[in-house]
Amino acid sequence: MRLGYLKPGDQLPKVRDVVASLAINPNTVLKSYRELEIKGLTTGLPGQGTFIQATVSQVALPELTGLRRSLLTWLATADTAGLDEDGIVALFTSVLRDFRERRGGSGVHRDAARGETEGVA
Amino acid sequence: MTTLAALPAPVHLEDASLQPLPWRRMAWVTWRQHRVALVGLAVLLGSAAVYLWLQGRQIHHAYGTAVGCHAATSGACVNAINYFTSTYNLTARKIPALLIQTVPALIGAFLGPPVLARELENGTFRYAWTQGFGRWRWTLAKLVFLAFLAATAAELFSLLWSWYYQPFIADGQTNPLAAFIFNLRGVTFAFWTLVAFAIGGFAGLLIHRVVPALVATLATYAGLALVVGVFLRQHYLTPLIARQQNLLASSAWVTGNWATKGGRTVFSFTGAPTNNMLGLFCPSGVTVKPSSGLVGGFAQCLSQHGYTLWASYQPASRFWPFQWIESGWLLALSALLIAATVWLVRRRVG
Amino acid sequence: MNVIEADGLVKRYGSTWALRECSLAIPAGHVTALVGPNGSGKTTLLSLAAGLAAPSAGAVTVLGGRTPGSPIALDGIAFVAQDTPLYKNLSVVDMLHLTSNLNRRFDKASAQARLTELGIPLKRKAGKLSGGQQAQLALTLALARRPRLLLLDEPMAMLDPLARHDFMATVMAAMADDGVSVVLSSHVLAELERVADYLVLLSQGRVQVAGEVEDLLARHRLLTGPAAEAERYSERLSVVHASRGGSQAHLLVRQNATDGPLPPGWESHPVGLEEFTLAYLREPDAAAPPGPGRGPDAELSEVTT
Repeated sequence: MRLGYLKPGDQLPKVRDVVASLAINPNTVLKSYRELEIKGLTTGLPGQGTFIQATVSQVALPELTGLRRSLLTWLATADTAGLDEDGIVALFTSVLRDFRERRGGSGVHRDAARGETEGVA
Repeated sequence: MTTLAALPAPVHLEDASLQPLPWRRMAWVTWRQHRVALVGLAVLLGSAAVYLWLQGRQIHHAYGTAVGCHAATSGACVNAINYFTSTYNLTARKIPALLIQTVPALIGAFLGPPVLARELENGTFRYAWTQGFGRWRWTLAKLVFLAFLAATAAELFSLLWSWYYQPFIADGQTNPLAAFIFNLRGVTFAFWTLVAFAIGGFAGLLIHRVVPALVATLATYAGLALVVGVFLRQHYLTPLIARQQNLLASSAWVTGNWATKGGRTVFSFTGAPTNNMLGLFCPSGVTVKPSSGLVGGFAQCLSQHGYTLWASYQPASRFWPFQWIESGWLLALSALLIAATVWLVRRRVG
Repeated sequence: MNVIEADGLVKRYGSTWALRECSLAIPAGHVTALVGPNGSGKTTLLSLAAGLAAPSAGAVTVLGGRTPGSPIALDGIAFVAQDTPLYKNLSVVDMLHLTSNLNRRFDKASAQARLTELGIPLKRKAGKLSGGQQAQLALTLALARRPRLLLLDEPMAMLDPLARHDFMATVMAAMADDGVSVVLSSHVLAELERVADYLVLLSQGRVQVAGEVEDLLARHRLLTGPAAEAERYSERLSVVHASRGGSQAHLLVRQNATDGPLPPGWESHPVGLEEFTLAYLREPDAAAPPGPGRGPDAELSEVTT
């Protein structure tokens, strides 16, 4: 949804199908679906399935474009300084963590957290 | 509004009094799992039956000719009877009897142990005993179904055998209570098969491996049959007593002899007199008549020396009472072994 | 409802103790991973729950208080033992017919459809199928009984990665369709992360850790910092396992309310299921709360990076 592949009106795949193709715990899928519903992003139509209801990006398109451009500039600077791709990722992850902790406690977001453990030097 | 609140509720558990599954379901299960053994035994018995049928017809015909001969005292007729007696004595009478003696043991040993030992050996009991049917019912059903099949097949075979053997009884050559023939006729053959099977099933549970359990079954059966034939059977009813020379070998099963003189017992023997005894009283030899045998001839010698030879015996007329007594305790023993097997299955297996 | 509940469960085989004083309560509607080194009692626990053995002491009940091996328990529980026992000489169809005869509920049609979908030939003898096919057959038979609880004893030991994926996909789909609870014992920790939401860690016949995965992981953190400070810092924390790589120390800690903020030079990361499990397995004396923690004598063990 963030990247725009799913738009309002699109149907989410059935829990069963997700589970069968990915071999993951149905409770995990159910929880994600429930979270989307609580956030108001999806709605369930009885007998038909779950459908996307709203969009995610609370950031307007021009702002997104501006963010993209400044990020590209920063990446060019890092590259010039001699940082390779892994170094960039490590630095970014570390700063993101600091930023989050400074913003409001060490709340655990599991999906983001999974990626983090690989980034430890 | 939410269509996926949680996982679907699983199948509702029925209340505590779940009806047990019908026993007939195990009929197919038993057949399919023991098909090879059952078919193998059927082929074995079937071939033996064909042989007995063909050979038996020949024997009946020869016997009919021999007894139907007119002028019974003529040389030709006596020859016919002698011909019948000598031709069929060994190959048609004794050898088949000895071979058929092994049939209950074979049926029991090949059907019994696999029921439990094969499951335990292969680990498939972890599948079979976690199914809805339940482990002790599964065991009981298999044992009862197979026991029934084994006993029925055995009895049918025994009837054929009795028909086959009938001329040898009629011509007075065999005492129906004799050990090598008693348990092949009447109904005890089926019960000996039953007990062999019950021993096999029990051995399979205790020994956990098919081949050792099979061997143990054969050995146990052989031991039991030997003990019963030689020691136990003669005591089913109190033996009668008579003078040896009044007895016919074919109608009295002698279980012991003793000689008296002047009211005092001087010596005794079981089976046949020793060479010492024969040498002492019959130095010139014993006349052995077919109807009274060696012991009868010995009785003659003894009477010339003033001795009376007595015999304790079971009359041939007690054939059926003995059959019922033996079948009765064999049935009880089989039921006990099967019950013990099922009880142990229910109780343990760690 | 608890699908498996054990209270002071003890199982002894002769002089060998397979389970000592095991107590746990596995809730329904979860995929429970039963993890532990060889000989820790996983198979024994599953066998006791399936009714194949009886406890030496203590009690175990299933499906909300029923006795294992009772008609209701047998009806509601499907057990696939290690090495997937099947009758090698029977064909696949025969196995279907057999299982149908031995159970009250059996969805033969769906089982047959599933087997065909997997490409398992129905007429072939079970012994002639590949390892993966045998495992799928055993699983299909178990699931067609529509059980409430599925017990799997190292079901994927003999399977290649593709077969393992298919196997777990089948199990998860059954859970999504029927709400069956699953307890599976396995060595393959990496895969458990995707499927397990309840964890039971057995060590030397005792329950070392038991709880919801999310819960357990939320209460632990991985702290990394300078090795020189590690020993002193550990004294203030409940350290489960400590290791050292070069000049860096890694401490897997259980969070307490009394823990202060991180000193400078130290970073805190969340813990994944595999790391969590490995740490506890390396420290057999540690137990997850409310059991006793390791306290201040956490050793640093050399880890070659």
